[in-house]
Amino acid sequence: MSQVQTAVSLPQPTLLARTLQGLAGNRTGTIGFFLVALILAAAIFAPWISPYDPAAIMTGPRMAPPSFDHWLGTDHIGRDLFSRVLAGGQVAMLVAAAALGAALSLGLALGLMAGLGPRWLDNLLLLLFDALRSFPTIVFGLAVVALVGPSLLTVIMVVAITSVPIYARIIRTQAQALRNAEFVMAERAMGASLPRVLFVHVLPNVLGPLLILASMDVPLVIATEAGLSFLGMGVRPPTPSWGVILNDGYNFIRNSPWPVIAGSVPIVLVTLGFTFMGEALRDIFDPRLQKAN
Amino acid sequence: MTKTKTVSMASAALGRRTFLKGAASTCLFAATMPLGSRIWAQSGQTLRLSAYADIDALDPAFYQNGYNVDVMNCIYTKLIRYKEGREWDWELESAEEIEQVDDTHIRFKLKQGLQFSGGYGEITAEDVKFSFERAILHDSPVKSDWGPLDHVEVTGRYEGVIVLKEPFQPIWTIALPYGTGHIVSKKAVLDATDDGGNFGMTPPVFSGAYVLAEWKPNQYVRLTRNPAWTGPAPGFDEIRILPMDDTKTAERAYEAGGLDFTQITLSSLAQYRQDPPANTTIKEYPSLSYVWLGMNLDNPALQDKNLRQAIQYAINVKQIVDAAYFGEAEPATGLIAPGLPGHRDHSAIPVEGDLDKARAFLEAAGGPPSQPLTIDALNATVWTTMAQIIQAQLGQVGIPTQINVQDSGSFWTLGMESEGDRWKNMQLVLNRFSMLPDPYYATSWFVSDQVGVWNWERFSNPEFDKLHEQALRETDPDKRAALYRQMQGIMEQSGAYRFLTHEGNPVMYRDSLEPALRPDGLPLLPRFSGSV
Amino acid sequence: MIYYAMQRFLLSVLIVIVAISALTLMLHVVPGDPATMMLGARATPELIEQTRVAMGLDQPLPVQIVTFFGRILQGNLGTDVFTGRDVSDIVFEQLPYTLVLIAVSILWSATLGIVLGCYSALRAGTWLDTLLGILSVGTISIPAFVMALYAVLIFAVSLDWLPAIGAGQGFFGGAVHLILPAFAIGISWVGYVARMVRASMLEVMGAPHVRMARSFGLTEARIVRVYILKIAVQPAVTLLGTGVAHLFSAAVFVEVIFARPGIGALIVSSVNERNYPVVLGAVLVTTAIIVLATLVSDLVVALLDPRQREAL
Repeated sequence: MSQVQTAVSLPQPTLLARTLQGLAGNRTGTIGFFLVALILAAAIFAPWISPYDPAAIMTGPRMAPPSFDHWLGTDHIGRDLFSRVLAGGQVAMLVAAAALGAALSLGLALGLMAGLGPRWLDNLLLLLFDALRSFPTIVFGLAVVALVGPSLLTVIMVVAITSVPIYARIIRTQAQALRNAEFVMAERAMGASLPRVLFVHVLPNVLGPLLILASMDVPLVIATEAGLSFLGMGVRPPTPSWGVILNDGYNFIRNSPWPVIAGSVPIVLVTLGFTFMGEALRDIFDPRLQKAN
Repeated sequence: MTKTKTVSMASAALGRRTFLKGAASTCLFAATMPLGSRIWAQSGQTLRLSAYADIDALDPAFYQNGYNVDVMNCIYTKLIRYKEGREWDWELESAEEIEQVDDTHIRFKLKQGLQFSGGYGEITAEDVKFSFERAILHDSPVKSDWGPLDHVEVTGRYEGVIVLKEPFQPIWTIALPYGTGHIVSKKAVLDATDDGGNFGMTPPVFSGAYVLAEWKPNQYVRLTRNPAWTGPAPGFDEIRILPMDDTKTAERAYEAGGLDFTQITLSSLAQYRQDPPANTTIKEYPSLSYVWLGMNLDNPALQDKNLRQAIQYAINVKQIVDAAYFGEAEPATGLIAPGLPGHRDHSAIPVEGDLDKARAFLEAAGGPPSQPLTIDALNATVWTTMAQIIQAQLGQVGIPTQINVQDSGSFWTLGMESEGDRWKNMQLVLNRFSMLPDPYYATSWFVSDQVGVWNWERFSNPEFDKLHEQALRETDPDKRAALYRQMQGIMEQSGAYRFLTHEGNPVMYRDSLEPALRPDGLPLLPRFSGSV
Repeated sequence: MIYYAMQRFLLSVLIVIVAISALTLMLHVVPGDPATMMLGARATPELIEQTRVAMGLDQPLPVQIVTFFGRILQGNLGTDVFTGRDVSDIVFEQLPYTLVLIAVSILWSATLGIVLGCYSALRAGTWLDTLLGILSVGTISIPAFVMALYAVLIFAVSLDWLPAIGAGQGFFGGAVHLILPAFAIGISWVGYVARMVRASMLEVMGAPHVRMARSFGLTEARIVRVYILKIAVQPAVTLLGTGVAHLFSAAVFVEVIFARPGIGALIVSSVNERNYPVVLGAVLVTTAIIVLATLVSDLVVALLDPRQREAL
């Protein structure tokens, strides 16, 4: 009797506890978490910790190497690179959150429609997803930018739309799997509506893995933005984004390598951080995900 | 007018650098040999340089862009050609004599014995007539280069008279020695096309020092000696031109040994002067193009002249040019670059601007506009840099602005009425036109007729139009120059223009090369000599 | 299997059609048009209109799309706005360079990635594994164009070991000119492939049939070769098949930086010039190739593992 009682009364470890436990053995994961925390903190507190206004020109000599006044040096019109990198971090996090948020929402909606809806709808949506995936992202980006003009919104749109198919597919798979599960059919037989089934059964199963995948896509989003900026089609000046800093730095690379370094190092750190963190989370919570790609 | 960046004519890249290094060393040796041996040493030499775009036209009557003319210079001949050096002038090429008989008649006499390639025989006045009239006959987009050309009269096997409807000075500077002035064989073109129209990318005949041996699109253009050419032998057996739309790429290619001659960007100039690549000469040339900030006179936000003047005075041209071009370009005083008639020594508004006056004008206008003004700029770093500096400068006096960056397809159709309504919303625009060596070519874009076409500021001034017509006919060079100076003054007075710079065309090339360049640094390829 | 293959093929064709129609739509809503771009400075409104009509741009959009597809079925991809050449000539001139570049990039990165992934899996948990892990992720994170840029500056300009630009002449020249570009594109894929292979190998290595083989005394090497590799390579195959689209994107940057001929550079410049026929032709061919690659990789996976086939 006491054994049963013990078995029943053991508390489930909390999410936090599981995370910390999982991380304890995982070196890269811990590094990842720290990096992400650092980046987020820098992005949030950017306005307070920036020594200069990122748009202020001629705050010092042009293309200056790092110094006490300018920790990462200055760019070609004398703007402080450290402040611009911090502001760029804000832009990067904003783009990532907005784009991935939009992609997830849209992907969720479309994936559910495809997974739970009628067959023809499923086939049609799958067709659309595949068509979208067959486009080189850059071509799509070029066309959209030419259409709408380069701006933050455009970048977010391009990234969101090209990411939708991936998430939609995953949700669709999950939804389809659950659609035929016995307990779901039972509930529906008892009169439960589709939305209820969705919210109670599908979403919880799907949200976790999706968020993990999304976090691993952050680097991709940032790289896409950098790519668009490199082709001259990124955010509107004088908004700094890491891609813009890279592009400007590339044009003046003979004069000073520092802008390129300043622009590329944050991208590397973000990728390392989010990828490691994502992998660690996946290892802890859902090893099945390794096949889901 | 071409819309792309300043031309960079660096040599095209080839593989097998080691082979060329070997060849170069024999030639250095040869430089000290007597003339006969030097010519021997030059055989087998290939000159490699780059162009900022791949060719897209080979018919001179439809040349469209300067990068095409650079190739046409090699494969066709003309009556007269530009002189190389620092002063704009022309000299005879295939004409033995040419003179302006009166305001509307130009008499020419061809040299005898000049041959077309492909067995099409001797170049005669009939061919000249055919070549010149084609552009107008077939409604070529560049027919305006000939202006009021009526016809060409053939008066002998080698003689003829060019007859104009009205006087047209620019015929000497932009028609005869340039694009549409190239001579093709009447028989060959009629053989290739039924009506003598555009023969596209396959020239049926060559009349110049080179022939087009091979064109690998997006890779290179290969020119080799024309056996039928009877003029002075060109310096190189073969020329390879590689399209590279990014001048920085061309710079890297030169440094890596893949090119023999290249243009360099102004931002790299200071670096190269301090620390040039081995065995390299660097020379600076002024460019003819002009960069300015224009304001849309029909836009409701810019109606008040006081606001426009506030903007004009708030802009510090020196600061912009220093920042965007690393101090290597000079502020401009107008449309017309130094070296051409009509260049102004100074503009009405000081080059540094005047913040006090700017603020005064702004007050007179009733304060800054409620909505930020938009600045449209092309999406290359130099323009976005300038736009950001202008934004900061205008911000200093309290005028808020927003920068709209566009790719070239969107940008170059911005002010055109045929493209829809975008021209209505355009406010400030950072623009650059390239130029030909005649001042008329600059002012022709700002006449009333051009409103809604290329006159995006929608500037319409009857006196300006009248002066433009007058200057076309004026034969006295001093009077002509004065007219153009006056016109630029009128433009500045309207408040819709702030002239920024003419940029510059620095070049670098191997010490052993002796390039022949126009006063604006563009290459005259058949006259290159020396060795690589 | 045949039925499945046919289904997938038809689907692929449909995908291409949808993609191109969408692109046509977008291009026509975009500001700027080929007539103006072609005529340039001398464009008068009348001349522009004339040229537009000659190009068929005044037709309603659905008509233009249908005409376009009709012509494709006849093998005609249209004519270049500026030079009057056949778009198919232009596209198929440039295509081989990009294909070679992508193929070489995939080849070296997949090979190295699989090797590193195997090695990491077999030595899982050691510091070597962690090191390789960090390196893999590190290389993934540098955007292809930054890598290309650094590669050019270090190897071509400073050290002068390798050519900076162009595609080179002949076989040997071409190969040498491929080194830096293929390096820049492939480097991030090494990391991806290695991580995937490592993960799936670890999974398979713990499977019952493998443990049985081990207990029978088969050498580790033989086990790896016969049982593990086949399964472990699958995700990598899928990854590469679907990654062709990403590779094309990367090729765009690399072609611009290295001034190489290729489809990527062609698309960028023709979009800029609003050279619609070339854009449509080039994107059609690109999309078709990507779809083909996906198809092939799906079929290969289906061949290897019938469980993976998706019902249509």
